[in-house]
Amino acid sequence: MFEEKISPLQEWANAGKAILYTYGNFFYWLLKENFPLKQIGEQFIRTMVEGFGTIMVGAFVQGLLIAWLAGNNASRFGANIWIGTISTYVIFKETSVLMAGILYSSRVGTGFTVEIGSMQMTGQLDALRLMTIEPTQYIVIPRVLASIITLPLLKALSDGVAVISTMVLIKIWFGVSFPIFADRAFMFLQTSSLTLSYVRTALIAFFTSLNSCALGFYFNGGAVELGKTTTKANVVNIIYVLIIDLSFAIMLELTGWA
Amino acid sequence: MIKVIGLYKSFGNNRVLKNLNIEIEERIATVVIGRSGIGKSVLLKSICGLIPPDKGSILIDGEDITKASRAKLHKIRSKIGMLFQDGALFDSFNVYENVAFPLVYHRLFDKETIHKKVMQYLELVEMQDFTEAMPHELSGGMKRKVAIARAMIMEPKYLLYDEPTTGLDPYSSAIVEILIKRLQEELKITSLIVTHDIELTNFIADKIALLEDGRIVAYESKEDSLKEGSLIYSHFITNREKIRIAHGY
Repeated sequence: MFEEKISPLQEWANAGKAILYTYGNFFYWLLKENFPLKQIGEQFIRTMVEGFGTIMVGAFVQGLLIAWLAGNNASRFGANIWIGTISTYVIFKETSVLMAGILYSSRVGTGFTVEIGSMQMTGQLDALRLMTIEPTQYIVIPRVLASIITLPLLKALSDGVAVISTMVLIKIWFGVSFPIFADRAFMFLQTSSLTLSYVRTALIAFFTSLNSCALGFYFNGGAVELGKTTTKANVVNIIYVLIIDLSFAIMLELTGWA
Repeated sequence: MIKVIGLYKSFGNNRVLKNLNIEIEERIATVVIGRSGIGKSVLLKSICGLIPPDKGSILIDGEDITKASRAKLHKIRSKIGMLFQDGALFDSFNVYENVAFPLVYHRLFDKETIHKKVMQYLELVEMQDFTEAMPHELSGGMKRKVAIARAMIMEPKYLLYDEPTTGLDPYSSAIVEILIKRLQEELKITSLIVTHDIELTNFIADKIALLEDGRIVAYESKEDSLKEGSLIYSHFITNREKIRIAHGY
């Protein structure tokens, strides 16, 4: 097929256009057709399996890191009993959202880009269109909706793993017993802030999975371009995760909900 | 009938199709030949509405695919089957699932009827013993046979073939050629084949069109195209010789 030579700036502009176009297409087909429940179920299992290992390992290390930093600072002031409180507050409210979002988009999201991109490269998307099957309906919607369910669930599990690693580290290194940890760990956590962290996670899942699909969908070229597109998807998604997080922080502060 | 009128298509500054006109007659095999990269696949994809043209009309049974709404486009596409280069089989499905997929997705028949139909078409392409095989386990020729079965299962009126023998060894090419010929003879489908394989063309074509410089420059019956003095003959038989001589061979 025929390809145009374009500048890197034009490439990013095209990526932006592809993403916006896919957003429009997503809502159009979501409202127009029945929910592809079978495909959503299949993608839910797939995304859970693919994301689980990476996110849990990330959560375990994250718990250790937060506890280590919090512990070393708190122990200077003799505030060891508060290490668990600080760590869980930071993990539940902030870092687990970021970690889960970034790891999910890197592990599962880029998988979407490569999968859809190679389907594009080998004519499988065109084959679907010729069978009068709309690829947005069959491919994009199930992946995005499954991600919206999967990522908050994985975040919940990863919170648990991070709390366990925190608890173990501060017991071994800073000598805080499990009962003291359990007594104080969730002292300042509010249901509203927890709920908001899950809303953020769901939004991150929506945007990053849709971006990943969009870039795979409108990819054009060979193996080298597919590699570049996948990297682009990863970069775009990480920036999205940070922007969503920042937007929420600012919004909560300005509205006084913080 | 498929009628292409004044078709233009450019990619950036590259003008690929320039005022292309052709009428594809029903129930015969029409072969469009031309050099690699001349726009043969673009023509095929334009005909099934996968690439929007810059200008021109494509009438399929009198309906213009370039102006069709999404719903109408789906209706028109249901008349068309296409064999893509390399088959374009779905990687995550086995042979059986690939062929059954359009019927299962659209819930056109009950499970038993779908099974019967899938086996019927797999037998037609002699792939009935490979139902469980995954696409990556198949040779190039086998992939194309399965892809033909998949294209046929919706019983399209028109079957488009994009370079059906490219990249295949002579044995596999011959098998695919025979299959196309058999389908043509037994089912009387309207076939449009784009290729640069002159042996395939000679074997299956009823009519041959030559695509050159973005337009159809010759459109003849196979018999006429094989006569000396024919543009198609000179492009594909004597031109090769001339180019060799020009390069000192």
